[in-house]
Amino acid sequence: MTPKLDEVAENPFGFHECFLMPMPLGKKVVNLRELLESLREIDESVLFYHLIQSRLAMGYPLVEYPNDFALWAANALQDSKLAEKLSSFDPFEYQNLMLVRQAVVDILEEYLWDLHVVPWARPGFEFHFCQASVVVMHSLISARTLKEFCGALTQVGLDSIYYHFFEARWRLGELKSDDFSFWIETNFGLPELVTAIRDLDVYFYSLKEVRETLAGLIHQHLGEICDHPG
Amino acid sequence: MITLDDYAPIVGKEVVGQLHRLAEHLQGRRFVHINSTAVGGGVAEILSWAVPLLNQLGLKTTWEVIMGDPAFFDVTKAFHNGLQGFKVHLTPTMLEHYQKINQENARRFSWEADIVLVHDPQPAFLIESLRPQARRWVWRCHVDVSRPNLAVWRFLREIVKQYDASVFSMSQFAQNLPHPQYLIRPSIDPLSEKNRDLTEEEIKAVLHRLGIKKDKPLIVQISRFDSFKDPVGVIQAFRLVRRHTPCKLVLAGGEATDDPEGPEILAQVQEAARGEPDIQVLLLPPDAHHEVNALQRAADIIVQKSTREGFGLTVTEAMWKGKPVIGGAVGGIVLQLRDYHTGFLVHSPEGCAFRIRYLLHRPEMARRMGQMAREFVRNHFLITRHIRDYLTLMILQDNPDSRLIEL
Repeated sequence: MTPKLDEVAENPFGFHECFLMPMPLGKKVVNLRELLESLREIDESVLFYHLIQSRLAMGYPLVEYPNDFALWAANALQDSKLAEKLSSFDPFEYQNLMLVRQAVVDILEEYLWDLHVVPWARPGFEFHFCQASVVVMHSLISARTLKEFCGALTQVGLDSIYYHFFEARWRLGELKSDDFSFWIETNFGLPELVTAIRDLDVYFYSLKEVRETLAGLIHQHLGEICDHPG
Repeated sequence: MITLDDYAPIVGKEVVGQLHRLAEHLQGRRFVHINSTAVGGGVAEILSWAVPLLNQLGLKTTWEVIMGDPAFFDVTKAFHNGLQGFKVHLTPTMLEHYQKINQENARRFSWEADIVLVHDPQPAFLIESLRPQARRWVWRCHVDVSRPNLAVWRFLREIVKQYDASVFSMSQFAQNLPHPQYLIRPSIDPLSEKNRDLTEEEIKAVLHRLGIKKDKPLIVQISRFDSFKDPVGVIQAFRLVRRHTPCKLVLAGGEATDDPEGPEILAQVQEAARGEPDIQVLLLPPDAHHEVNALQRAADIIVQKSTREGFGLTVTEAMWKGKPVIGGAVGGIVLQLRDYHTGFLVHSPEGCAFRIRYLLHRPEMARRMGQMAREFVRNHFLITRHIRDYLTLMILQDNPDSRLIEL
């Protein structure tokens, strides 16, 4: 057995669970220009919901668009070109939500600039703004070793993966870092594993895939099958 | 008795464990649900399983049903139709009767609660009389209120404004209200009589009893005989399909005690189906869950061609059974059916007919769609997720001014 798997961490990893309650605002837009104008004004929590949190609220199977704006462009405006642009945009490349907002606004403004006709949503397919309230709870599940960590990954809900892997990027203020790689780095070193985790193109992973991929990466780097609780 | 642990093989142990951990923070809270019918319709079904499970988790949960006379249910049906966008005429006498029946019911209720969840408009006016009996009042709207009739909504808005929060099934239904609005999607119980696995023998026995011979592909729509479910449109679609492909149609619906329009719509459907031996119209009693289960499992394709829909639990049930579903592109059906992935959305009888033909000729696509639908329901529309949302809602109501609560 690789020694690292049973090496005890100085600080155990305490898994949190995260319960998200979407809160619709009762405010909608019917065309791309209205979306652009609203995006300049809406609360950052609304932007955060539609770009990041909605993957926890409702993850569609095999949907190629990773955020609500891209999905709306494709399904409601039936504008594939815009959907592609909004999909390629990665909010994790920006340091804060103010910059994220500016980036989305820039995409929409540039796109609208060259259009002769403003794209409208089909009736019933308007964009409805949401934000969320969040309850975060200690799960009582923790890991002292990497072996325990692998086991715990399968015991916690997908919301826990979301909290530590996605929401952490904003909480820690370091968009390339997440709770899992931070814990491994500070307790075990393992720079190659840490880099591999941070290099994941997370924007395109479902929460379930993130869970499987993490276990796979630990297995790959430490040579131990990571499928049983420690 | 079914316990929460019985759901672990279906949703995963971690999901059930989470519910227990979350409920630890709410031990002993008194949670009252109020609606207007004990049987029939999605709300009564949800409450019939949610209440025992919430009690198992340590919340003192009760379910109260208001009583009313036919005139009361005529008014509330008019509310229902108006909220779903139809033009209705409400007279002052009707509104007074609605208020009077609520006041009479209020006199029967002596419970006290930490949180009361009032389902739909029928019992909404109870808050006027009972406000001090609960710490927090939450209005739960199950209806598609994306384009409500203004007169109806104006009247109800004044009542709903008194609540501490509202809950809707879709963000499209949220309104301009002076309190927080939340989104909780409905759900189904995979272990209930309506959704549990059935053996081939059980399915055959039900088909035999109902007089359905499965000698052709079977298309089924299960829903109350209600104009918003468009059963006549389904018959039109079926007749279009039949020009090209042999198949059978079963329209089966229950009755709810709070729906006075049912018999009239049923008569229209029977008239439309007259002279067509391959269409069977079945009026099922509200507790015919086993029969509905068997019909859905026997179906090759399930249709839910609604023109308005709060959520469409019959769609969820069909998806859970791994069936390809064709639904009207309205309300919560849009949320559940993703074209070409978890089902098909249609806008007309012609569209419905076309998709039925498509699926009849592409059984492999129908199978894949059904499998994807089942997994989608497993992740989002089973009762464990619904219970989690209730618990989260209660924690949020304990901390009404906070958007991030760390326990």
